[in-house]
Amino acid sequence: MKTAGGGKGAPLLEVRQLSQHFGGLKALDGVDLDLSQGEIVSVIGPNGAGKTTFFNVMTGVYPGTEGAILFNGEAVRGLPSHEVIRRGIARTFQNIRLFSNMTALENVMVGRHCRTRNGLLAPLLRLPAYYEEERRIEAAAKDLLGFVGLLSFGNHLAKNLPYGDQRRLEIARALATEPKLIILDEPTAGMNPAECERLVELIRRIRDRGVTVLLIEHQMRVVMGISDRVVVLDYGVKIAEGKPLEVTKNPRVIEAYLGKECD
Amino acid sequence: MFLQQLVNGLTLGSIYSLIALGYTLVYGILVMINFAHSEVLMVGSFVALAVFRFAPAILPQGPVGLIVALVLSMAGAGVLNVVIERFAYRPLRHAQKLAPLISSIGVSIVLQNAVFLWVSTQSESFPELIAATQFSIGGAGVSSLQLVCMASAIGLMMGLHFFIEHTKVGKAMRACSDDLETAGLMGIDSSRIIALTFLVGGALGGAAGVLYGLNYGSIKYNLGFLPGVKAFTAAVLGGIGNIRGAVLGGFILGIMEVMAAGYIPRGSDWKDVIAFSVLIFVLLLRPSGILGEKIAEKV
Amino acid sequence: MTPVSAAKWAGLAAILVVPALLGSGNYAYLVQAGGMIGLYMILALGLNFTMGYVGLFDLGYIAFFAAGAYGAAICGAYNVPLLIELPLTVAFAVLLRLGLGVSILRLRGDYLAIVTMGFGEITRLVINNLDSITNGPKGMEVPPLQLFSWTLSGNLGYYYLIAACVALGVIGSRRLEDSRVGRAWVAIREDETAARLSGISVNEHKLLAFTISAGFAAVAGMIFAHWIQFVTPESFVFWESILIVSMIVLGGMGSIYGVLLGALILGGVPQILQVFLAGSKWIDYRYFFFGVVLVVVVLFRPEGLWPHKRRQAELHEEAA
Repeated sequence: MKTAGGGKGAPLLEVRQLSQHFGGLKALDGVDLDLSQGEIVSVIGPNGAGKTTFFNVMTGVYPGTEGAILFNGEAVRGLPSHEVIRRGIARTFQNIRLFSNMTALENVMVGRHCRTRNGLLAPLLRLPAYYEEERRIEAAAKDLLGFVGLLSFGNHLAKNLPYGDQRRLEIARALATEPKLIILDEPTAGMNPAECERLVELIRRIRDRGVTVLLIEHQMRVVMGISDRVVVLDYGVKIAEGKPLEVTKNPRVIEAYLGKECD
Repeated sequence: MFLQQLVNGLTLGSIYSLIALGYTLVYGILVMINFAHSEVLMVGSFVALAVFRFAPAILPQGPVGLIVALVLSMAGAGVLNVVIERFAYRPLRHAQKLAPLISSIGVSIVLQNAVFLWVSTQSESFPELIAATQFSIGGAGVSSLQLVCMASAIGLMMGLHFFIEHTKVGKAMRACSDDLETAGLMGIDSSRIIALTFLVGGALGGAAGVLYGLNYGSIKYNLGFLPGVKAFTAAVLGGIGNIRGAVLGGFILGIMEVMAAGYIPRGSDWKDVIAFSVLIFVLLLRPSGILGEKIAEKV
Repeated sequence: MTPVSAAKWAGLAAILVVPALLGSGNYAYLVQAGGMIGLYMILALGLNFTMGYVGLFDLGYIAFFAAGAYGAAICGAYNVPLLIELPLTVAFAVLLRLGLGVSILRLRGDYLAIVTMGFGEITRLVINNLDSITNGPKGMEVPPLQLFSWTLSGNLGYYYLIAACVALGVIGSRRLEDSRVGRAWVAIREDETAARLSGISVNEHKLLAFTISAGFAAVAGMIFAHWIQFVTPESFVFWESILIVSMIVLGGMGSIYGVLLGALILGGVPQILQVFLAGSKWIDYRYFFFGVVLVVVVLFRPEGLWPHKRRQAELHEEAA
């Protein structure tokens, strides 16, 4: 599959020796990772392994202490979050973070922010540019709501949606920024098997749109089912990487997980 | 001259510190600015005045009278603070963030006007609980009032330190201040601890009210505002929620204010400008105050 | 015409016509009270951008009103024409706000409250102490508003000018609320981190809201100074900042009509009481009752009297 950005072989994302230290604590310690366009890759590891920290450094929440993140060949480590998002990385959160008192539709419309341009003048004077852009924003947002199966809930306040719907709304909002890479932080947390099933299917459809997916996931069944590759972190270090089945047989992984959750 | 200013600064600072503790204790536990704290302080000073008017016998001049006045004012102010919490803040514990603040502004207006309407509209002279005599220490004139002020304030702070570090309820208070929800899950009755925090904070404010009256000689219905604002500034300066920070901030602010008034031409006009400018400057360098911990947001 | 829209038009007509009828009769004070309420409305609408939409506290907002008023006074002293005074004064207030704004972008809610309060007090004290420019506590005389050879004087004229500004403020607020920038502001209020990670440049949008807020306050301050024709530092005390913040919380944060209602109640009631209670002993009770009302309303309606209903129109559309 060929993309506008990089030619065949050039990875979408190259992470090199990425570290994040907090005082003496090495939350991330020299992590390498390559992602190619269209992949679904899972990051697993015991609690406190540095998975969320990794995502936070990737999206500019933490600056990172050392190492490089090349996205589409451009260095993005240390950029402010909104600049990272603009370059095509979007994410969701472990604890859902929606704009609670905005409607579902508005939440997704906010996601269009970095792809639209209206400032103060156009809306104040109600110029044609205002109407034209608002229409496009709304159409795109509705399209995405439909994509995640929430079209009929557009007018509901985000905080009033059921838990599973909130997770999907967060994904729609992230997709609205037109990412090339979407990062999902435990998307199935707290979901029942039926909801999980729908979410796995949604992740596949996201990939089919040409978006690369990187996710943190605890449910092994989900990881096994959708991942092209699995990366295992433990104490901030990458201890294994490979096809799902290979990884589960890796002795270091078994050791890290021994006595811990393994569905 | 410098020594003299330092003594004046320490006196003012000790009062600011006591008030700042009230702000910081409440903030530490509920993350709200108790705007009415300045009125609790004012009411505390009026409690001492009322006792003096109606039962002068129990407030003889000297240490005994001072201690009785302090205890009664602290009790009055502490209870008032608890009542305020119960009726004006507790119902809003799960409301939007700014609601308790607005409620506390309302309480502040009510208390100030209640004293204005039903107690006194003008300055009232405060009882001379301690005879004012001047000492000279190394060329600096120190009054007995200043010494009493500092000694009482430091005594109270030490008492607070002991209470918080070494008693069981004190530890529960610290636990709540750390994480109210978890403390609740660990079996601590958080509503009771919150009430206790308001009691302690209010009591310290009441004591500050007495020391204020003693030091300035007169009290008025609106006396709380300026020291309240300054003390809150001090609490933020030190790192709000941090007890040692409040004391440190109070002394820094008190000394700075006195020094500014003494050494800068027309300094007394500019002292408040300087105090607030320092606050802004400090927060620019250290957004969480001098001793405050950086709270990294969890994502 | 539905009853609601009929009531709306009747209300609008009353706001416009009644003052003219009252003109110089016994109730002329109502026109003045109306003008003052209108100024509070402009201020509350202005602060609503920072506080209502973006959720950033400002306990020193009155400083920018002061900047507008003293801008007018100083321009008046040098006979600066209105067409230069207006941009000059607004630019001054906005720069002041941006100077403060840039430095406090990193601060969290309560720290922000205290720093802005400090800034408000600094502004008042500086005005008070800079005798050579502001004439200090004695205050400054200000000429009435003058455009070329036409002079605006009398309460009624200012009333209409203020009413027009309120109308513009409402229209501007509504239009911005329903725009890309407006949504970004509310998103920041709801969750700053999530907003940033949805691609919004949070700092830029905060500064934008600060700018607009300061602009509203500066215009209100200019009108106030030219109308009353006198300014002193005492008009810009901390209490006034609290009052405006209270208007927004009382009415409903981020709700345009709520904010107007808050300004009407908190700005109007004390003035009306002052007139009706003049001479009676109850006059002294007005602030007491003000405090009681504030507490009671917050306790029973913590979300405000007239909270914002998002996307109400759309819900109607669907129902139809």
